[in-house]
Amino acid sequence: MLDLFFQQLINGLSLGALYALIAVGYTVVYGIVQLINFAHGEIFMVGAFGAFATWMLLGQPTDWGVSASLLILLPLMLLGGIVVSVTVALLTERFAYRPLRNAPRLAPLITAIGVSVFLQEFVRLFYGRIPGFPDAKSAIPFPSVAGISGEIVRIGSVTIQMPALFTIVALAISTLFLWFFVNRSKTGRAMVATSQDPDTARLMGINVDKVIVAAFAVGAGLAAIAGVAHGLNYGNIDFRMGFLAGLKAFTAAVLGGIGNINGAVVGGLVLGVVEAMATTFIPGQFGSSAWKDVWAFALLILVLVFRPQGLLGAKVVDRA
Amino acid sequence: MNTRLFKLAGVAVVAASLALTGCGSRTEPAASGSAGGATKVAKIGVIAPLSGDLSALGLGIRNSVDLAIRQANESGAIPGWKLELAAEDDEAKPDTGKNAATKLASDDAVVGVVGTLNSSVAQSVIPVLDSAKIVQVSPANTNPTLTKGADFLTAPKRPNANYFRTCTTDAVQGPFAAQYLLGEGVKKVATIHDKKSYGQGLVSEFSKAFTAGGGTIVAAETINPDDKNFSAVISKVQGGAPEAVYYGGEYPQAGPLSKQMKAAGLKVPVMGGDGIFSGEFIKLGGTDGDLATSVGAPVDTLESAKPFLEGYKAAGFAEGYEAYGAYSYDAANAIINALKVSLKDAADAKSAREATITAMASVSFDGATGKVAFDEFGDSVSRVLTVYAVTNGAWAAKKTGELK
Amino acid sequence: MRVIISDETKVRFRYPARAVGIVGAVLMIVSIFLPWSYGSGALDDVGFYGAPSPLQFAFVVLPVLILLLLAIPLVGKQRLGQWAKTVAWNTSAKTASLATLATVLIGLAAIAIELKGLVNIDVGGFTALVGALLAAVATPFLPDSPEPTLARVKSPTWLQILGIVLMMAGVLFAAAFALNQTDAGAFLTFVAFLVGVVLVLRQLGVMAWIGIAGANNNRVLVLAAFATAFAFPFTQNGSDANMSIASQVLIFAAAALGLNIVVGLVGLLDLGYIAFLGAGAFTAAILSESAFSTLDFHPPFIVVVLISGTVASLLGLLIGAPTLRVSGDYLAIVTLAFGEIFRITMNNLDGNDGPNLTNGSNGIPGIPDLEFLGFNFGDAHVIFGVDIGRFANYYWLMLLVIALIIVVFMNLNYSRIGRGWVAIREDELAAEAMGVNTFALKLLAFAGGAFLAGVAGAVKAHHDVSVTPDQYVFLESAFLLAAVVLGGMGTVVGVLIGATILKLLPEKLRFFSDYRLLLFGLLMVVMMQFRPEGIVADERRQMEFHDEDEELAEEIEEELISHHAHLNPERRGFDL
Repeated sequence: MLDLFFQQLINGLSLGALYALIAVGYTVVYGIVQLINFAHGEIFMVGAFGAFATWMLLGQPTDWGVSASLLILLPLMLLGGIVVSVTVALLTERFAYRPLRNAPRLAPLITAIGVSVFLQEFVRLFYGRIPGFPDAKSAIPFPSVAGISGEIVRIGSVTIQMPALFTIVALAISTLFLWFFVNRSKTGRAMVATSQDPDTARLMGINVDKVIVAAFAVGAGLAAIAGVAHGLNYGNIDFRMGFLAGLKAFTAAVLGGIGNINGAVVGGLVLGVVEAMATTFIPGQFGSSAWKDVWAFALLILVLVFRPQGLLGAKVVDRA
Repeated sequence: MNTRLFKLAGVAVVAASLALTGCGSRTEPAASGSAGGATKVAKIGVIAPLSGDLSALGLGIRNSVDLAIRQANESGAIPGWKLELAAEDDEAKPDTGKNAATKLASDDAVVGVVGTLNSSVAQSVIPVLDSAKIVQVSPANTNPTLTKGADFLTAPKRPNANYFRTCTTDAVQGPFAAQYLLGEGVKKVATIHDKKSYGQGLVSEFSKAFTAGGGTIVAAETINPDDKNFSAVISKVQGGAPEAVYYGGEYPQAGPLSKQMKAAGLKVPVMGGDGIFSGEFIKLGGTDGDLATSVGAPVDTLESAKPFLEGYKAAGFAEGYEAYGAYSYDAANAIINALKVSLKDAADAKSAREATITAMASVSFDGATGKVAFDEFGDSVSRVLTVYAVTNGAWAAKKTGELK
Repeated sequence: MRVIISDETKVRFRYPARAVGIVGAVLMIVSIFLPWSYGSGALDDVGFYGAPSPLQFAFVVLPVLILLLLAIPLVGKQRLGQWAKTVAWNTSAKTASLATLATVLIGLAAIAIELKGLVNIDVGGFTALVGALLAAVATPFLPDSPEPTLARVKSPTWLQILGIVLMMAGVLFAAAFALNQTDAGAFLTFVAFLVGVVLVLRQLGVMAWIGIAGANNNRVLVLAAFATAFAFPFTQNGSDANMSIASQVLIFAAAALGLNIVVGLVGLLDLGYIAFLGAGAFTAAILSESAFSTLDFHPPFIVVVLISGTVASLLGLLIGAPTLRVSGDYLAIVTLAFGEIFRITMNNLDGNDGPNLTNGSNGIPGIPDLEFLGFNFGDAHVIFGVDIGRFANYYWLMLLVIALIIVVFMNLNYSRIGRGWVAIREDELAAEAMGVNTFALKLLAFAGGAFLAGVAGAVKAHHDVSVTPDQYVFLESAFLLAAVVLGGMGTVVGVLIGATILKLLPEKLRFFSDYRLLLFGLLMVVMMQFRPEGIVADERRQMEFHDEDEELAEEIEEELISHHAHLNPERRGFDL
């Protein structure tokens, strides 16, 4: 039983790390423009497809050795994913959200739903039209990266898959990077200032437009890393993968306290562990894996009722 | 004064148009009928997802039916009649499927329908076609309640006399897989299914036969059809140390499941039904040693499958025939065989609808999937199945046999 | 983008422009007696000499309008008298010409696509094109007419009622004609034509006149609208194909109207609304006489409807009570999560992962038709010599439900409760400070909207024969929301139009079905950028979205004043 507990803890942490990487994007954008970027799940999906496209453009290498894969292939795929994600995120920001910055709050939210549906369909319909690319109407097998895909590490009776480890390490590095970015860089500090008081920040000479762009870009970059991690963990990517992942990541962001970057990380990990544990330790019929999404969403509702500011405290709680 | 002006203008315009209309009349251009006497037209409908993410399967169904119709017209299978295809999209949605069925039912030339892909869509489509007395043959529905009613196990009762299917139900595939695994010396199996009617039915039939044969089910789990991450389930299954995992569901989940299982150190074969018997399964992570059952003898060994395989290639369809192409081809040919009887003395297509349903009961021929005939519930009587195994990255036939 | 032609040019060219325009109109009228295409497979068979197809007959209305608008003023200002200013002759002719050009272009494009190649356009098609181009190029050179005052012409009550009845007859005819177009090109051409006619009528001031006539004879308008809707099955000649779509549109519209209370009136974004429709449908299915029903309790349908509505509204309370306190964006996502919880739960209650209530993903099929007082909804019957099929029966039932919903909606909208809702939407804090019980009112909206959806769901269960969880996915919620947003939040007519567009177009335009969702997503984005208030704008809401637009504010104010002046003729203050 204890073995199973540790095994599910590892499973939960790797799933949670994925949620956390996506959740940061929700939280950063929300902290600054108070917009739930409903299309962020799709940014994650687009990142995975971007990484796949990079692999295609490299000539579909399948036989690179471990060191070449880890030092060249993986960084290039990550870079490709990030470039695509960030580009798409900035385009939606510029053309869909920015014109609505002073509109009633319903307008950007509905726009976000539209963007989300549009991006999904765009990938589904047009990805396969790129010469040589596989049709994206059904799932596409994600390339394996030597040294990560299929490798496992055993600690006692607990099996840790390398892709899961990759996700957790990627989250750790990203969190570290975020900390430096927010606390040490000029743009990062401008972001904090804007999220605390946009008007005063503007008076202090901060270019709010630039700050918003930076927020979208940071979120999209992390989402792209999550996209690659998803591909490595689960072996394939498809145009619908962003919907549920996005919803879960949003739940994670709320769980940790929306607007709070550390909260998003903690919330993601907690959510992942809760999901994994629920399938093992809830007895009877309701412990089936089919209920795990229900438990995750029920957690969201419970948090909103009893601790709307989230685990680590939100910047904004109630904005009508 | 002003009103008079309006009246005048109005009258002038109306008079002018009437005068001009009188000049011509709408007559049909000379009849373009072929071969002497008038050829009457009967239509075979298709209801399948022609758009959306299941469209690959749906288009395969449509093309295969189209092929059967073309071949029947070329060979003059039904003298005095020309068959036409009427394909409708159901988007894999019950609502849209019902609209499609209503549309086909209101077309007097439609005498039979091949479809649907999804059992949930069939539930909405069958009643509409039944009330119009149009025969429906599904190449893909495996839900046993469609032919045997709510109490299909204890008190089977056929709900709709117009409904037939060429694919087999779960009651045949599950036990066949169980017998195969027992024969290979596998005694401990874990089952996983996706909660859809197909997967759930397969697993429950499999489990019954497997335990009856002396095997043990060490774990029974379910997943959500839209899941991507199976690590929690795999960890649970792993505890029972199964020698194989029987999966009830389709390839989009089965492929990744197999891959993630092996990555997690559970290196045992995944076995499933015809839902995973697809090249996509291997692409998405199915590995050597994974097994699948499928109906009929292997298509390339059957003499009766040649017209289908060769015809499909020759017809130059843009899409492949996919998993249900051969079943659809057989379904269309079953209808055509019934039409040979019912259309012979019929004055028009509509009046032959009921006779077609009656004639279906005695249809019997060798099709692309083997022998095609129906029992008293409308289910395919074919009980010949083949076990395939992934060998060197492709499906290869392992064992063909008949379920006793 | 708009080409501005100076007033001087317009005055200089006014005579040649009028002449060219008339020539264009005449050419187009002549063209319908010429074949437009070589083959017979395009539009509704337009390849004949001297024998226009029904579509061409309909089309000719526009050129005849242009001709009349251009020719009648030729008699001179004196003889036109007051009518010179009442009708916007020139401007309307310009609108009509542009609309005609659009219609002709769509029609010809359809011919070219359906018969594969531009060569298939015959002499009639080219004549029409030349005529349309002439008219469209010439009419912008006419001097602008002043704002039409047709709406302000005093008209006797009988004429107003006649106008309403004629308009409804037109709507009925157009709907029947459009639905019977099996050819996608013909359907599109006709829709373009209809949009053109509506635009011209608006330009002429006829729409405003009808609006005032409707306001003066409110009961007549409502009755006429329902009589029209009621008469629709008689235009279908016993065919069920369109009735099946029409009844689905009504079910969808009923749910959208329920959502409209929540989103349109109170301003709470609910992204899981389809769950309430599903709750009603599942409740009705489980309580039905279906062999697959899992409960042994089968009350009559009237009771089932009430239970379904109650179950749905209880769910509404369940989800609303905890989350309405943290208003705003959270609510949107929580409702979305709730929609997913509902779907997954329905999937899981199959006796395997939970108690057996819904048969899991198989759902509950074989739901029998409704039966009222011995009348079975599944039976076809004959009324006035027209076959009335199964779906027409359900259509009428849904019409009743919709009527009920509209009555409730309108009464709420103009009541104390409705004003409270709007106050919450505009500024919740201020509303609360003014003593509005915001929490109770929001809960009421949530539960009330859910009740309506539940009732619609109960009918849907019997209409659809089978209920499965995969009918109630997030995308359907998005579609409901889109119907409300597209049509116009907070309005009844708008939501009805939105629901019709979203359900009807995919059925009629199968060829783009693969791009349907792509366009849907794009439409939502574009709509929010350029016309967030929807096709039919609620006046209050329009102000909200364009609060910096002074001109619009003045325009609306003026409209309201003239409107009220008409409604209260005894107050002569604003008689213009």
